[in-house]
Amino acid sequence: MPGLNASLNIALSGLQAQQAALNVVGHNIANVNTPGYTREVANITSGKAFVEGDVYYGSGANVTSVQGIRDRFLNLQITQETAKQAGAQTRYTTVNAVSTTLGDTGTTGVSAQLQAFFQSFQDLAARPEDTSLQTNVVGKAQNLVSTLQTQYQGLDDQRSNADQAVGSLVGQINTLTSQIALLNQSISTAPSADTNNDAIDQRQALTDKLAGLVGINVVQGSRGELQITLDSGAAVLVSGSSSYDLVTKRTGSGSDNYLQVASNMAGSVVDVTSNIKDGQLGANLDLRDNILVGFQAQLDQIAAGLASKVNLGQKAGFAQNGLAGVDFFQNASVANRVSDGLPISIAVTPAVKSGSGWTDFYEGMVNLLSVNSALVADPSLIAAGGSAAAGDNANALAMAQLGSANNTVDTGTGSGTIGFTGAIGALITDLGTQTQNYSAQNTTQQNLLSALQTQRDSLSGVNLDEEASNLMTLQRGYQASARFLSVINSLADQLMTQLGR
Amino acid sequence: MTFRTSSTGQQRQNLLDLQATQDRLALNQAQIASGKRVTQPGDDPVAAALILDFGTSIDSNTQFLKQVDSANSFLQSASDAVGTTINDATRLQELAQQGLSSTNAGSARTAMAAEVSSIRANLLALGNTQAQGKYIFSGTNTKVPAFTADPLTGAVTYAGNNGLINLNVSAGAAPVATNVTGSQAFQGGGTNGSATDIFQVTSDLQAALTANDTAAIQVAATRLQTIQDNLNQVQADLGGRQAGLTNTQATLTSMNTTLQGLQSNQQDTNFAQAITQYSSDTTIQSATLSAMAKTNKTSLFDYLA
Repeated sequence: MPGLNASLNIALSGLQAQQAALNVVGHNIANVNTPGYTREVANITSGKAFVEGDVYYGSGANVTSVQGIRDRFLNLQITQETAKQAGAQTRYTTVNAVSTTLGDTGTTGVSAQLQAFFQSFQDLAARPEDTSLQTNVVGKAQNLVSTLQTQYQGLDDQRSNADQAVGSLVGQINTLTSQIALLNQSISTAPSADTNNDAIDQRQALTDKLAGLVGINVVQGSRGELQITLDSGAAVLVSGSSSYDLVTKRTGSGSDNYLQVASNMAGSVVDVTSNIKDGQLGANLDLRDNILVGFQAQLDQIAAGLASKVNLGQKAGFAQNGLAGVDFFQNASVANRVSDGLPISIAVTPAVKSGSGWTDFYEGMVNLLSVNSALVADPSLIAAGGSAAAGDNANALAMAQLGSANNTVDTGTGSGTIGFTGAIGALITDLGTQTQNYSAQNTTQQNLLSALQTQRDSLSGVNLDEEASNLMTLQRGYQASARFLSVINSLADQLMTQLGR
Repeated sequence: MTFRTSSTGQQRQNLLDLQATQDRLALNQAQIASGKRVTQPGDDPVAAALILDFGTSIDSNTQFLKQVDSANSFLQSASDAVGTTINDATRLQELAQQGLSSTNAGSARTAMAAEVSSIRANLLALGNTQAQGKYIFSGTNTKVPAFTADPLTGAVTYAGNNGLINLNVSAGAAPVATNVTGSQAFQGGGTNGSATDIFQVTSDLQAALTANDTAAIQVAATRLQTIQDNLNQVQADLGGRQAGLTNTQATLTSMNTTLQGLQSNQQDTNFAQAITQYSSDTTIQSATLSAMAKTNKTSLFDYLA
């Protein structure tokens, strides 16, 4: 039979176990609003019994572990969806911002300016000898050029913004990976796996944050340590207690002088710029190197069609001075080819239209476009006539027809495939479809992520009512244990005071 | 089996729902305020392309309407000048007939010759009619007067060419010529000094009247008849073109009305729908807010001593 001291020990273990469990409840309540916090449960088990003959006497209660209630597969899923959601959101925000100006279907957009330019030739056809109408054509051409260039510059600005974001994101990523590596260290050196709950929570929060910045793949090792690679698998960011920084450098020149991202693993530097798919970094790289470039390429193609067709048209006619027309669009320092009317520096027969190479097709044409300064100085040089007669408007009519003609814009096949109206329509549709696409992706990912988070919260989140109820139960347990202690104490007191005298 | 709901999770769900409602409210409000359903391509890419397409067609039709006005004004100027020329030719014919009449004395014919001379000067002015800075009877040589009179002999020479000034007035259709050449109107297509040249015939008539030569007056009268027929034909041709332009104008205007209707269908806000959605979302928003307030109030902690 256990003695009074043993009973006192049982009372003590009860008090300690309830108090330890209360401590866990307090920790849960304190962290109710901590992002990524996983609720903890104190596992109380009964103490080891001791035997007297056939009788087993219990020895009270002990807290044997404090367990974090988490599902690590759910956590991995959340990490990956976070990256996709951040990617879609970044792409959507930028494309949407671009589409507001570039996609203008009203009177100030590229489409309206292009039409105004060609209509000015129709106006000129009515009175080819009228100086004010000649000046109007030049004015409309200058408006068109400046609209094209403003839009192009707007896209360039967005690309620069994306480039700046790349630099700052890489810095944040490196900070996060080094912190995750430190936490990996403390988690994997714990006596048993999955016990350092707060470190695991912190690491999870940091991993989610990292996933928002860059698309990653996460694998958990046997000691609870995380191995993190880029989503394409092209580089390792964290392996156990080591982290590997991403480095940036500029390799291009001129307007293409953008940051390239490389991994630096034990001194071997590998370029991974095109291997980052998601997260803000992946989205910014995609915007900078593909999406926005695609829009710019379409503007370049339109500008090239414009320069080429209008220059050739202009040369086929006669100006008011009775001489054959001169180039309508000409860059001050670059002479145009006779064959296609384009600046000599523009490539027209690329080897293939594939990869990133196809964007070089007519690249930079918008910026090379300017109305021939001779024409600006003397608008009567516009070749409106099909003959040298001042009132002949045949060529002005032909030029006006270019606006609605087919096969004026080369979309990358080496010869004209669609007209100006078609090309602008394609640009608008492209822009609209991409905006809608990223918007839908963003919403879908947001919903998916929120469903997953609800699932995680349902499992791991703190419910205050539940904690309040635990608090009451444990409080009663503590009160009862204390009462038991006082009873045993009074028994001992009785022995001491009544019999021990 | 009950489903655990964490306290933060509940808050987040409420917040997401509220934000979604607010997004829709903002969207509908923008649609109602701007009157436009599509303000950027992403709102509806297909509609955006259609709106652009309709807009392009409307713009080009509007431009064609301007071209029609332009063509009409030139044709009207030409028609006015030709009309006056016809009156002059008729008067010349009357004078020729009077000259042929045996009741008239030589002195009367001299007086008639003076009138013929002044009509000839008037004809020259008509041939050199200018409209909007152009000599309209000079073909495409619009910067020089169509007819020049030799200061010594008075012989009139055509300085224009046979070029036509065409304008496009509708997509695909043949262009409309906005001029008649001086050679066609005043010389019947013949050369300077030919039998159909109104200036030559007028000079001949004047000379015949002055010389009291009835045979020559008879020749001039016959030729004047041919010239008058030609002028009437030119006038009919001009009138025909103007009538054609009036038809084109009506077609273009009605096409634009149709196109504007189609564009509006794609572009403009459906107010009934937008406002219904807006008021329904307002109700949802206030319901969510009051539910949130109630849920957040209930806590077991309130009942703990």
